[in-house]
Amino acid sequence: MIIRKFLWLLPLGVVLLSLGASPAFASAAPASVQAFYVYGTTLTTLENVVNANGCAFASNQPDDQTDIMLLDFGAARLVSSGSYGAIDFSGTTFKNPSILLALEKAADGYHGCHAKGGVIIEYGNSNYRMSSSGMSTTDAWNAGYDQEQTAEDLSTYQVAHGYGSQVAGTASDMEPSYDGQLITKQLVNGATAQGWAIYDDFGSVDGCPTSGNSNGPCNNGWTVGDVAYVSYHGVALPLPEIYYTVSANQWTVIRKYWDVDSAGYFFDGVTGETPAPSGGVNATTGWTTLSSKNPGLVGPNLVCYGTGC
Amino acid sequence: MPIHTLGESRKVKLVTALAVLGLVGAFSGLAAAGSSPVSLPLLGSNVTVPAAKAAAMANRMPSAPTDASASAVTAATPAFPADPIPAAILGSNVPVPIPSSVMTETNGWVDSNGYNLVAVYAGSAGDDPTQGRVVIVRQDLRAGKQTVQIVDTGATGPLTIAADAPTGVAVETSALTGGLKLGTSRGTTIRLNLSTNTVSGN
Repeated sequence: MIIRKFLWLLPLGVVLLSLGASPAFASAAPASVQAFYVYGTTLTTLENVVNANGCAFASNQPDDQTDIMLLDFGAARLVSSGSYGAIDFSGTTFKNPSILLALEKAADGYHGCHAKGGVIIEYGNSNYRMSSSGMSTTDAWNAGYDQEQTAEDLSTYQVAHGYGSQVAGTASDMEPSYDGQLITKQLVNGATAQGWAIYDDFGSVDGCPTSGNSNGPCNNGWTVGDVAYVSYHGVALPLPEIYYTVSANQWTVIRKYWDVDSAGYFFDGVTGETPAPSGGVNATTGWTTLSSKNPGLVGPNLVCYGTGC
Repeated sequence: MPIHTLGESRKVKLVTALAVLGLVGAFSGLAAAGSSPVSLPLLGSNVTVPAAKAAAMANRMPSAPTDASASAVTAATPAFPADPIPAAILGSNVPVPIPSSVMTETNGWVDSNGYNLVAVYAGSAGDDPTQGRVVIVRQDLRAGKQTVQIVDTGATGPLTIAADAPTGVAVETSALTGGLKLGTSRGTTIRLNLSTNTVSGN
């Protein structure tokens, strides 16, 4: 009789153990949302374009959840001595203060057309050819740090304007083929040192193993461990590109490798493309495929490029 | 060997100890993993995230479902000054938005009349260098909309946008829907029709 009074503690302990073991996300794919590549030759253009992106994103938001609006400003760059920013997809370089002004316009655009849900406006860049552009590992660290600071400054703007449905974040398309692992890790280290926002890695796993959990090789001298580091160290979280089923297999290896020594690896969601490339999977199937291989470990974010997003 | 039966009070102590052990185990497990439980309403469940991410994760929670001031619910900026990008082949230091799993890029070309933008990336399929591939990014700059289309050209090998591609200010509008010559690895050329997103023999 007395024993029964205490038996409820046992399942409680089990529940707490399970909570400590892993997140438990839903198995159904979320609705996809549009991501944007940024092309601009002047600050005015940049501001106008992302302002329109913000309005379009809000107008097409599919649900009431807080979705990621990913604005990819191109590759991280040292613009001038001690000043960091990005070179966009038209080849124009912008310093972070200018990118901040553009991000504020995106916030205004989202606010102007906001109907439901919330948004994380993310300042995205990449590790594309940082070394060959003259950046050192210290520069990469500073670029990651400043990227986070820019997101925090955007947050200050959002709060000051009463944009309660909005928050700010950062992201980076970190791909092994784009640059070396040492300099790429410094983006994450700098971001983590500043530490304000989650640093979504919407990159790839080029050439990495498709099975197992060991530290195998990837492209360009990277290893599984290097991809695990840039996608999960510090404030980093993986929002991986899944355009082919093999990518889901490779990212599962990354997760298993991380969990060998440090449990808890999970995915913020998936970056995909709809319609699918030839032989590949669309964004929704990409999310479902990754989730099926990592049950309960893929978050409810589905960032999408393509005509059918 | 005599069999001892636990007294009632000992049973209570044992069960209590097991339960406490379970709780301690749970929390010590969290600590060992460097994790800290963070409630994430947007995820619809309590999710445990590593301590290093906890503050940043908390910062991505919107403070309210609506903004303090009403949304204007208007179209994007009514006055949209055109700021064209003269048609040009992109330099090798300019980033490529297409993931390397989708395409191994050879070169790219961009053009905008200030209202509409087209960027074309030529190369081969990311997983098969024998298969030619073109990716076309289009943006309606005023509407804030973007599309990405992939055009496969078969066993042409890696494609290269020809050096005599339309360039300059004069073709900013016409080139948006014109044609681009693409060189194949066999030394032949094919033509990409930007009004139909199709390729044909040149």
